[in-house]
Amino acid sequence: MPPVETSTRVRTGRIALYLTLTAISCVMIVPFVWMLLTSVKTPGDIAAVPPRLFPTEWAFGNYADALRAAPFATYARNSFVIAVSHTVLNVLIASMAGYALARLRFRGSSLIFLGFVGALMIPTYTKILPEFLIVRFMPLFGGNDITGQGGTGWLDTWWALIIPGAVSPFSVFLFRQFYLDLPVELEEAARLDGLGELGIYARIMTPLVKPAFITVALLTFEGSWNNFLWPLLVTKSDSLRVIQVGLSVFRTENDTQWAFLMAGTTLATVPMVVLFLIGQRYFVQGFATAGIK
Amino acid sequence: MVSTRDRVRATASGPSAAPPRQRGLLRARRRAGLLMVAPAVLHALIWIGIPLVAAVVLSFTSYDVLTPPRFVGLENFRDLVSDSVFRRAVLNTSIYTFFTVPVAMAIALLIALMLNTRLAGRAIFRTAIFIPQVTATIAVALVWLWIYDPRSGLANAVLSFLGLDGPAWLSSTDWAMPAVIVVGIWQGIGLKMLIYLAALQSLPTDLYEAASVDGASKVRQFFSLTLPLLRPATFFVFVTSVIGAFQSFDQVYILTDGGPANSTTMMTYEIYKSAFREFRMGYACAQSLVLFALLLFLTLLNRRITGGDRATR
Repeated sequence: MPPVETSTRVRTGRIALYLTLTAISCVMIVPFVWMLLTSVKTPGDIAAVPPRLFPTEWAFGNYADALRAAPFATYARNSFVIAVSHTVLNVLIASMAGYALARLRFRGSSLIFLGFVGALMIPTYTKILPEFLIVRFMPLFGGNDITGQGGTGWLDTWWALIIPGAVSPFSVFLFRQFYLDLPVELEEAARLDGLGELGIYARIMTPLVKPAFITVALLTFEGSWNNFLWPLLVTKSDSLRVIQVGLSVFRTENDTQWAFLMAGTTLATVPMVVLFLIGQRYFVQGFATAGIK
Repeated sequence: MVSTRDRVRATASGPSAAPPRQRGLLRARRRAGLLMVAPAVLHALIWIGIPLVAAVVLSFTSYDVLTPPRFVGLENFRDLVSDSVFRRAVLNTSIYTFFTVPVAMAIALLIALMLNTRLAGRAIFRTAIFIPQVTATIAVALVWLWIYDPRSGLANAVLSFLGLDGPAWLSSTDWAMPAVIVVGIWQGIGLKMLIYLAALQSLPTDLYEAASVDGASKVRQFFSLTLPLLRPATFFVFVTSVIGAFQSFDQVYILTDGGPANSTTMMTYEIYKSAFREFRMGYACAQSLVLFALLLFLTLLNRRITGGDRATR
């Protein structure tokens, strides 16, 4: 085959590849573009048939109006507080557990690890009803007596929103994988220097798995911010509502206020997109670690 | 990796042979280990262990939260068998899972193969495809609800631009399920693609060079080299995706509320309805156990077929 023809064929192939990938990427991004454009449209533009892609008049005031129509700022703050709490608790408790399971063998440690792996398999929907009941009948809280009767327990409190999600088996699993890879010599040297086990964990080994901490922190934050069903079940009052629940309630109460609703969804999605763009490397590493190792 | 682990185990074994000082150290180490794992174990016992046992126990009772549970034996499970809505939910979940897992996995692998070439702007494509994954299902489902709007939505605008008459997506018994599936594929394909891409990048290149020397075509290389080497990744993607697909709830809650005429209701949705709209906790627990059992069955089946995660550690 003459070289000219080969290069044309290669070039056509590359152009086709680019076109395909661009088309796929557009499909993935268009909903977000549509969301952003809708959020700054006037009611007239939104009702237009057929719809216009760009607004005839850019109504940036929609965001201020949306915040007046529903306390989206409070919802976002609640989500943020919960996500930060989950992240801190998960990183602390799960890293200790993951470290112990990876580096400190003790009687029952492999059984405990098996338990965590098994827990990964249990669907949320099998756990969530009894979890709801535990929260509802939490003794000595929310007017409940010692047997858990008489009041509402942890329902509609920060406890219910934060404590059940404080540790996930997946975090323990990820941390264990990361700690396994460290060389044993470091640990031995520190031990010879007379450092205690907690000191070895906190001062020697943990600084070496910083990427694991960022990965688990990002994944936990994201999962917590995006969570819907649990906060829906355990909260009632407006002041404890999280952003995802707030959006769904706003939709049912204000049926077709698309501009405000899209302003709200922008508020709910943009922080995660930004977080992902900043920490992309760690997201990718987290999923790849879980997937390949 | 294995060697590190073995060395750890080697140092931890044989306390009887160790001198007294070292024995003390080993005891300190065990105590530290127990102490460090205790908070996570305690948490898991309360929020996973007890709920699992409670779900099994409650599935044999009739329980409305307000009055104490009453033992009813297998009645809930008998009711389940004759519950046509729940049967519909199992069928819907299976259809949804089929399209959002094996079908979406094939598409994701194709995209990963396209991205696994020397390509300018590869990171941009990868990012664009992954972004739906990190955004909240509730929020993006609201966006799709607006896209599917029959009069002013984007979907039908695009179709009419192509000269087609779009359906009333979410209120049509024929089109509601495909609409929900599209959202599921759209949101989930990024993660599948990403895991496949990471796996592709860690494949040994020398095998491919040898195959090329032997004259194996690209297609042949894909089927006899790439696919078998990707087995651990495939197993992992399949298991996590099935767990995810079986538990999709948010998009149904926003898009269709299970309708029209139960055409998009899922097992999770029926569990939610039984528990929190009808307050039949016992029945809902029985339904949730069926979900669990089906999930376990699919995982084990897949392990059988792909040879499982034998190549993983």
